[in-house]
Amino acid sequence: MNTLILAIKNIFKNRRRTVITFLAITSGMTGLIVFGGYMEFTFMGLRESTIRTQLGHVQVAKKGYFEKGLANPGKYLIRESESVERVLARMPEVKLVTSRLTFSGLISTGERTLSCKGFGINVAEESAGDMNTFETVVDGQQLDESTGPGDGVVGVELMKALGAKVGDYLTLLTTTIDGTMNALEFKVVGVAETGSKEYDSVFVKLPLPFVKRLVNCNAVEKFMVLLNDTDDLGKATKRINGLLATDLQGMEYRTWSELADFYLKVERLYRGIFDIIIFIVGVIVLFSIANTITMSVFERTREIGTLRAIGTTRLGTMRLFLTEGILIGIIGGIIGVVVGIMVAYAINFSGGIYVPPPPGQNRGYLAMVLIVPQVILYAFASIVGVSALSSLYPSFKASRLKIVEALHHI
Amino acid sequence: MIELRDVTKDYRLGETTVQALRGVTLHIKEGDFVSVCGPSGSGKSTLLNLLGCLDMPTSGMVLLMEKDVADFRDSELSRLRNNTIGFIFQSFNLIPVLTSFENVEYPLLISKTGKKERKQMVARMLDEVGLSKFAKHKPDQLSGGQRQRVAIARALVTNPRVVLADEPTANLDSATGHEILELMKKMNEDHRTTFIFSTHDAKIRGYASDVYTISDGRIVQ
Repeated sequence: MNTLILAIKNIFKNRRRTVITFLAITSGMTGLIVFGGYMEFTFMGLRESTIRTQLGHVQVAKKGYFEKGLANPGKYLIRESESVERVLARMPEVKLVTSRLTFSGLISTGERTLSCKGFGINVAEESAGDMNTFETVVDGQQLDESTGPGDGVVGVELMKALGAKVGDYLTLLTTTIDGTMNALEFKVVGVAETGSKEYDSVFVKLPLPFVKRLVNCNAVEKFMVLLNDTDDLGKATKRINGLLATDLQGMEYRTWSELADFYLKVERLYRGIFDIIIFIVGVIVLFSIANTITMSVFERTREIGTLRAIGTTRLGTMRLFLTEGILIGIIGGIIGVVVGIMVAYAINFSGGIYVPPPPGQNRGYLAMVLIVPQVILYAFASIVGVSALSSLYPSFKASRLKIVEALHHI
Repeated sequence: MIELRDVTKDYRLGETTVQALRGVTLHIKEGDFVSVCGPSGSGKSTLLNLLGCLDMPTSGMVLLMEKDVADFRDSELSRLRNNTIGFIFQSFNLIPVLTSFENVEYPLLISKTGKKERKQMVARMLDEVGLSKFAKHKPDQLSGGQRQRVAIARALVTNPRVVLADEPTANLDSATGHEILELMKKMNEDHRTTFIFSTHDAKIRGYASDVYTISDGRIVQ
């Protein structure tokens, strides 16, 4: 307690130096909080768009589908689809259950033919349950109650490559389940973009019954379950685990995170970058505090001699300077948290930071800064740790000064 | 109570070795008021540093209450300095961020004296040196004489056996210097505390009961 009070008094004795040290820590902390918050925003956006446009929160399929189904989807078709759908839809966390039947084939205007990947959706459910939030219609309209059973939405890049426009009739060509060729015509009612160029140049979205007719089979490949809230995932999977023994025998499930390979890679990359930034800020703070404590030890050499002469132990001397360094870290860190949060709010209030289109995407976006307690705590703990580390050596040196020499230091 | 036996002390000063003490033997008894005199560079400070366990001799023995100080570990020496020895310095050496009261209190905090007792001891000590009114003042708000009084209070608050004062009056005008010596003498009589002070001022040494004159690292009388 006594060391603490003395340390506080000493910190505020040399105000200018202390303020400069605080500034270094505060700007570092602010940088970390803003970047960390931006990073978390990016994660959230990417996570939700991945879930809502492609994956759903949980996918349920026949056992083995997720390992081997891609090569031979016909083997894992779910024919009793209505009963499975009813069981899943009964769970309280569930917002929407939809099913997918996919095919790959050719799409043609008559003049030009390209390969495509098509999938059938439950139009009524999905348009009611905003499964398409992150898919923007750039021309025409989305599939909904007003569209007909033979209408489809095509990716923007695919449309460009075909040279087609809304209202055109296109032909789809694919093999059916039993291996024969089949062709059906549909009407383009909308052009949509997801933000991913690759995906936009292949996808065709059609009503499920249309796709069933195209591949000549009355079944689905998998169910996609969208929850009310991504945070409910744990509860939902627990419930599904229970159902696997009863109503969903012979089925298995995957959560979005097991399927979202791209998202996980992006997250890992960003977290790596964040650690590098923490390291850089840490080094700056390290030198800043080490300098402050070293100066303080040098200026107060005679005082150290006096303290040692009147009975302060080496450990007590070391503790005094170490406390000063850590206190500077803690106080600077707290100021940094407050300023960082204020800056984050200011950025959000002014409308966010414009981010140009990332690689492989064709839309820029406005990034917000999320205030995430874990990120702030992580940054704060790192700074306090660094402040302890940086005052360790000068404090040790102070404790090892020869008393007689220290007393005669001018 | 303090004894030096054939003590020498060498210092390295750059390339050369300086012999600060060249065989000093002396014995100081409990309750003495001793002065160590000599010109600057004669070895007074070195002698006082050895007596105060701030430094170790190159050869010879320093005995404090019949114990060889060379046998003590650093932490034990710290404790010894805290509760057995008091220090008064030429430039007062108060802690600038602490008030008079806190400066005097500091040695008691090290020895972990209870709060109530501590406050009483500090108040009594400040009263004895006549600075009760200045308890809340910081060193830079005090005159030189007042600062040295605070230092005397700090040196005596733990009720030490011996107080070492290295040129306690060198930074004071002569009137104040005499006042400080009067105060030290009074403390010596009231508390039966041994005082050892160094000076090069012939007028001051008259206060001492024993005078050792030191020259070129040897006691000459």
